[in-house]
Amino acid sequence: MNRFNVRLLVAAILPALGGAQEAAEFFRQNCVSCHTIGGGRLTGPDLKDVGQRKDPAWLTRFLMNPQGMINSGDAYALQLQQQARGVVMPTVQGMNKARAEALLGLIEAESKLEKSQFIGLQISDRPFTGEDIEQGRRMFRGTRKLLNGGPPCISCHTMKDLGGLGGGRLAPDLTRVFERLEGRKNLASWLFAPATPTMQPIFRKHPLDANEALLLVALFEDSAKRGGQDDSVALLNFFFLALGGAVIGLAACDAAWKRRFRAVRRPLVRGMELTR
Amino acid sequence: MNGSPHYLDELLFAVFPYMAFFTFFLVTIQRYRMQSFSYSSLSSQFLENQQHFWGLVPFHYGILAVLTGHILGFLIPREVLLFNSVPLRLYFLEVSGLIFALLTLVGLCAAIARRLSESKIRRVTTTSDWVVFVLLVIQVVSGIWVALFHPWGSSWFAATATPYLWSLLKLNPEIQSIAAMPLAVKVHIVNAYALIGFFPFTRLVHILVVPNPYLWRKPQVVRWYRRAGA
Repeated sequence: MNRFNVRLLVAAILPALGGAQEAAEFFRQNCVSCHTIGGGRLTGPDLKDVGQRKDPAWLTRFLMNPQGMINSGDAYALQLQQQARGVVMPTVQGMNKARAEALLGLIEAESKLEKSQFIGLQISDRPFTGEDIEQGRRMFRGTRKLLNGGPPCISCHTMKDLGGLGGGRLAPDLTRVFERLEGRKNLASWLFAPATPTMQPIFRKHPLDANEALLLVALFEDSAKRGGQDDSVALLNFFFLALGGAVIGLAACDAAWKRRFRAVRRPLVRGMELTR
Repeated sequence: MNGSPHYLDELLFAVFPYMAFFTFFLVTIQRYRMQSFSYSSLSSQFLENQQHFWGLVPFHYGILAVLTGHILGFLIPREVLLFNSVPLRLYFLEVSGLIFALLTLVGLCAAIARRLSESKIRRVTTTSDWVVFVLLVIQVVSGIWVALFHPWGSSWFAATATPYLWSLLKLNPEIQSIAAMPLAVKVHIVNAYALIGFFPFTRLVHILVVPNPYLWRKPQVVRWYRRAGA
């Protein structure tokens, strides 16, 4: 093979390799919180051999606009939604025809492997201990730092019996998230690659490790057993603490400027007149 | 659930901020070059001084503390998260932030009440002053709403809003996390851009020429110059 042909071959192979890598990275960032390839069902179906269940054209259309397919009354799309307990697959940012086709190519290639790299988080099924729950609680509250530098759950989430002024309320109460996501495997996969638009950009760069996900699952399993949800007393305490602080602040301002000019100009002008 | 930002989100969080900052820099510089003596707020000596204290002091100390908190969250997000890793410190920071926000609101209400009740002050109040008041009320009320109903902002701001703001600065807006925020947070952010864009048309420009010597110099009698017959 002469030098020219080698160059042609490299030029042909490199984009394909790059495309496969890009598709794998895209799948890792956007799909693994709900799907595995050969690891069983999570929120969404196991995608192993999905190309044998539906033709590529239909799959491409569905990947590009899942909500649209459901709204159009497509029977298979509606069946998928029903199997996912009503959860509609989000339209993934950056999805287009070329990317959808690359993803289907990736799924097909991974399906042929004995063990896909997207088999999902293989989480231990050992019984949780009190220490696991305590470590999970510490991670939730932020007193145990996350290995890859992610923010603690308390920033945005609350749960029952957290103590103090409770947790954040930007995102849902996680007391019963173990029930909502139906168990250890689904929840751990979600934690490992959260698919919400707010969490995804953060945890893409600062993912939890498998052990951290396991410890948080231990906490959530325990809290789901206890039941209930966080009440609003902590929120009221927060408000009244701040209100009290503001009243004290106003009183402090009044006291600190006790000898302030009640009228700035009049005393000054009067002072000037007296000195004339 | 939909991960794709809506066109309106693109407009408000990826286009509007650049329009606001462009207006801010262009008009601020132009105004300083053309009307440098307008870079001030009016002296209050001829005006009402009793209510003035309750508008002036709580508002300025409140807004300065709250703004400092936002700037720290933007500049040193990791350190803020580290500080908040002890829940007691997180609660202390959040309660302090809300205290200063409430002081800002009290000051703002007092300032508005003073302008409405004093005819002398109404006479020196322009339309742009009222627009600023409306924008400030929206900003402060939405901020308090967010602090109360979507805590803990000091942590989630550092984790979500800071990367978004840095992406704006790098001219590569990533609005995914902001597009998914609750309405009150979005109102707070968009209104902040509106304030920045409107800033150079108002007396808020006095922020850029803070008269620091006022802190230590003796009070002076101000004389207003007016042409005869004006």
